Amino acid sequence: MGTKLLFVILPYSSVAIFVLGVVYRFWRWAKSPVPMRIVATPAPQTRRGVAWRMIGDVLWFPSLFKADKFLWAGTFSFHLLLWLVILRHLRFFLYPVPGWVQEIQTLGLYAGYLIPVPLALLLARRLVIDRVLYISILGDYLALIMLLALTVSGVLLQVFFRTYLVDVKAFFLSLVHFQPLVPDFPWLFTLHFLLVMALLIYFPWSKLMHSGGLFLSPTRNQRANFAQRFVNPWDFPVAYNSQNLFPPEKYAAAIFGSREGEKE
Amino acid sequence: MKMPVPAAPEIKIGAAQRQRCYPAKEKDMVKIDLPPSPLPNWKEAMLQKMAEVLDKYRSVRLFLDICVKCGACADKCQFFLGTADPKNMPVARADLLRKVYKRYFTVGGKVWGRANEAEELTPDVVQEWYTYFYQCSECRRCAVYCPYGIDTAEITMAAREIMAAAGLATKYVTEVVAKVYDAGNNLGIWPAAWKDNCAFLEEDLKDTEGLDIKFPVDAVGAEVLLLPPSADNFVNTDTMIGYAKMFHAAGISWTTSTYCNEGGNFGLFLNYANLKKVNNRILEAARQLRVKKIYWGE
Repeated sequence: MGTKLLFVILPYSSVAIFVLGVVYRFWRWAKSPVPMRIVATPAPQTRRGVAWRMIGDVLWFPSLFKADKFLWAGTFSFHLLLWLVILRHLRFFLYPVPGWVQEIQTLGLYAGYLIPVPLALLLARRLVIDRVLYISILGDYLALIMLLALTVSGVLLQVFFRTYLVDVKAFFLSLVHFQPLVPDFPWLFTLHFLLVMALLIYFPWSKLMHSGGLFLSPTRNQRANFAQRFVNPWDFPVAYNSQNLFPPEKYAAAIFGSREGEKE
Repeated sequence: MKMPVPAAPEIKIGAAQRQRCYPAKEKDMVKIDLPPSPLPNWKEAMLQKMAEVLDKYRSVRLFLDICVKCGACADKCQFFLGTADPKNMPVARADLLRKVYKRYFTVGGKVWGRANEAEELTPDVVQEWYTYFYQCSECRRCAVYCPYGIDTAEITMAAREIMAAAGLATKYVTEVVAKVYDAGNNLGIWPAAWKDNCAFLEEDLKDTEGLDIKFPVDAVGAEVLLLPPSADNFVNTDTMIGYAKMFHAAGISWTTSTYCNEGGNFGLFLNYANLKKVNNRILEAARQLRVKKIYWGE
């Protein structure tokens, strides 16, 4: 029963929490309107330009490059290696394994060996630079430590405690096809697996949602089309109170000598 | 020449905590439709306004949610570089609002409390808000360096809007906005004084340079409405003379308006209603004078 809970119920529910959680967060953000044009200039004027800018933001973090070269090197290499490792893991979920997944296996392997390095550097940076230490909270350490544990356990599985991969693949394919097998895996693999599930559950409720939030960020996804009118959906009229000495009516009276200006 | 980039200082906790703005005066607050003095039920008023702001501005909710605290913005804020107070780092400034947001508006904050950086809205927190949200000039430099474009100006504006709803604002900002509704500009130059200054500049130009150039005021039907900073009519008069010469040489009919002779809008530092009310004066002046274009002098 315990194994079934761990290897059948847990993976399905964590994936469900992940998907529903991410959808919920997007829905919650999208529900609040964008009342003003607050694009960070210099910005593109067309939608196509915005798409290119967004692709750039996702792929190589140009703002961060301007801000801090060391931080950029750490985060850029971490995200790049993470993608390679995730793509390498696709071989467990796809049958037959597509050619391009086979092509990147070696690259993904070395990426996996290297990925704890930028994570450790980013963690060290939090502890060493006084201003970054000041702003760091539990959630920041938690994300880094979870990822470090996850990647280190992955490396150990690859190098020292090799698991029989045919079993692993059979297990994941059974999950994908909704005919779950209940396997018996060694403890380190179980730990690695549990960390992934924990990360999936934690993801939508944490700062890890930065990956999705970027696409809705008004300063990055708006256009610099200042010549077009931008309508605020919740705009309201403003009125002058009796304390204000120079309301619009008084101006009409002053320049036209009568109240006729008001009629226009 | 390339300007040297100032190095980030070592943080000095509390270095700028005593640098607070003077509180707003009752006479100004009534002119700008805000509570004359801090409300007795300030906490409810602030939380209610905060809920409203979160539902009205996607930026605020999103920016509070997705910050990863990488610290890229930390050494980009001139207020941090100048004071070394860590709460003047954009990320830490936003944290002042974020911790209250977490406490009252997120499940994680309600469940985990202080472990998740959630904090009650106490008088001490409000004091911190008043101190540090008025040490931000809303320049948006942090937004340029943030990988997600998190714009601390949006957070600052939200916090000031929330404070204003409870009757908390600064003397400088409220005084200036109140002056606009009384005199038409930030300096409080009355219409009669504006006309007189313009007549004086006309005379002066004739006497010193022998030029016969007009400084039209409230000229209905002119082509251009000029919005100078009001200081140009008062202290930086050479700039005002420059505008007149330029329009004269180009043969463009122009005018200033006694109703609105200021481009700067201090409502930006206060709340949305006043931001709009000050801006509307520009449109109202242009409409009544039937001009075709508005030129921003500032």
